[in-house]
Amino acid sequence: MENKLIYSSSPHIKAQRTTRRIMIDVCIALLPATIMGIIYFGLYALLLVALSVAFAVIGEYLYLLIAGKTFKEITDRFDFSSVVTGLLIGLTIGTNYPFYTPIFGSLFAVVAVKMLFGGTGKNVVNPAIAGRVFIFISFQWAVGAWLFPAIGSVFGQTAETSATAVVNVSQGIIPKLSVLDMLLGTGMQGCIGETCKLALLAGGIYLAIRRVINIMYPFIYIALAGITTVLIFGFDFALFLPSILSGGLILGAIFMATDYTTTPNTTLGNTVYFVFLGVLTAVLRYATNMETVSFAILLMNLTVPLIDKFILNKPFGYKKPQKAKEAK
Amino acid sequence: MKTNFKKIAKDGIISSNPTLKLVLGTCPTLALTTAAMNGIGMGLAVTFVLICSNILISLLRKAIPKQVRIPAFILIIATFVTIVRLALDYYLPDIYESLGLYLPLIVVNCIILARAESFASKNGVLASAADGLFMGIGFTLALTTMGAVREILGAGAIFGYKLWDFSIGFFSSSAGAFFTYAIFIVLFALITDSIAEKTKLAEKNNNGDFTKPIEEAK
Repeated sequence: MENKLIYSSSPHIKAQRTTRRIMIDVCIALLPATIMGIIYFGLYALLLVALSVAFAVIGEYLYLLIAGKTFKEITDRFDFSSVVTGLLIGLTIGTNYPFYTPIFGSLFAVVAVKMLFGGTGKNVVNPAIAGRVFIFISFQWAVGAWLFPAIGSVFGQTAETSATAVVNVSQGIIPKLSVLDMLLGTGMQGCIGETCKLALLAGGIYLAIRRVINIMYPFIYIALAGITTVLIFGFDFALFLPSILSGGLILGAIFMATDYTTTPNTTLGNTVYFVFLGVLTAVLRYATNMETVSFAILLMNLTVPLIDKFILNKPFGYKKPQKAKEAK
Repeated sequence: MKTNFKKIAKDGIISSNPTLKLVLGTCPTLALTTAAMNGIGMGLAVTFVLICSNILISLLRKAIPKQVRIPAFILIIATFVTIVRLALDYYLPDIYESLGLYLPLIVVNCIILARAESFASKNGVLASAADGLFMGIGFTLALTTMGAVREILGAGAIFGYKLWDFSIGFFSSSAGAFFTYAIFIVLFALITDSIAEKTKLAEKNNNGDFTKPIEEAK
């Protein structure tokens, strides 16, 4: 009998959206920020980013080879999520970090945080965040002062060398650098990828147009972080823009906090998640006088299972079951 | 009653290693393994208390009423912990300092209570002493290796001697403690399981049981 009838279980119509496609979209969205980072911080920035991407991919291949997969199998199913992880780790360290830090960070992120938990989609926390925090707490002794980008301030005074803008903001001091400079990242100390906010925003808009992320959520996060900072320092509205534009808030909000695996499943859950994230970031900044975006995201990542447990979608037409009346 | 010392030794160090197999006494394991020396100090202190309390409990096992056995065990353990504390404070003040709070906490260390409850209160004096000794050795070995790994990675030193200027601070933090502990448990289980499979296969072959095909490992 000819095989004219084909049986298969649903779904029968498949969209073109695969994990690989989405991850390549994220890579494209990160490109402007990467290019701006390399322009600002020179070839050493390129080396750091290249190393972190390379070792993230190498980590995934090594793990799967040890687990008994063949090279071809891995390449066929390679979903580029480790490229995104590596890229994000490279962008969230500064050029004051030694060259070996992204290697350790990427290997830790991909092998320990992602692959040991079961691979893409099974990780408990965002691998890039975990890798960045790993580097941050492991290699404090090897890190010098933050460096300035090659292009100095265009619109006004340069920042003080004693403290980065985000440290100033966390103490309620308005940084000397003008807001426009902060938006462009000119004359501003910081990590490779986080200085040029304009490039990050462009990437965010690209992701929103491609419907990879819902732009509402990063917006809630960024706005809440700014508003909480304003409230902490007694309605000092001059702090609103500097608190948003300093540090890694925009990078974290657009590219790291919106990771599918580590966000709640429901709309309400997501709103709660990002509101808490914004408040937590601002409060932690105030409490520690450091940039705390990555720590806040890491902490909130761990609460996602709880949020998903308590905030559930109500099935259509569902009625609460009446409590059985007691006999007599 | 014949005592199987070989089995007691194997149980204590390998097949029911208190730290890596029973996952008991995790509090000192996580908190104190930042240095190999801490592991040895803590391990020996626990071993001493284990042996002494096991002997005394085994001697008194017929005299202690069942209803009040837990308070009685705790009382006996606390006695020996006090002895260890005072002795360490006098003779080895450095180790006493570095163990700090965790020394008096040996009183509520679940390894000791578990062995008192499950072994010493049911077995003879000699067997109980051996059990305490080998459980203590298992605990000491686990803590010392974990401490050594974390000291090398986290501080670039071993037993206090500086090896190099490179260090990964993550491994001396408490997050690193959990991470190292998990890796240790996994590796230990992998090794012991593969050994157990091999001995099983070997026994089967030696018995000449050819009626069933030899099962592959796992």
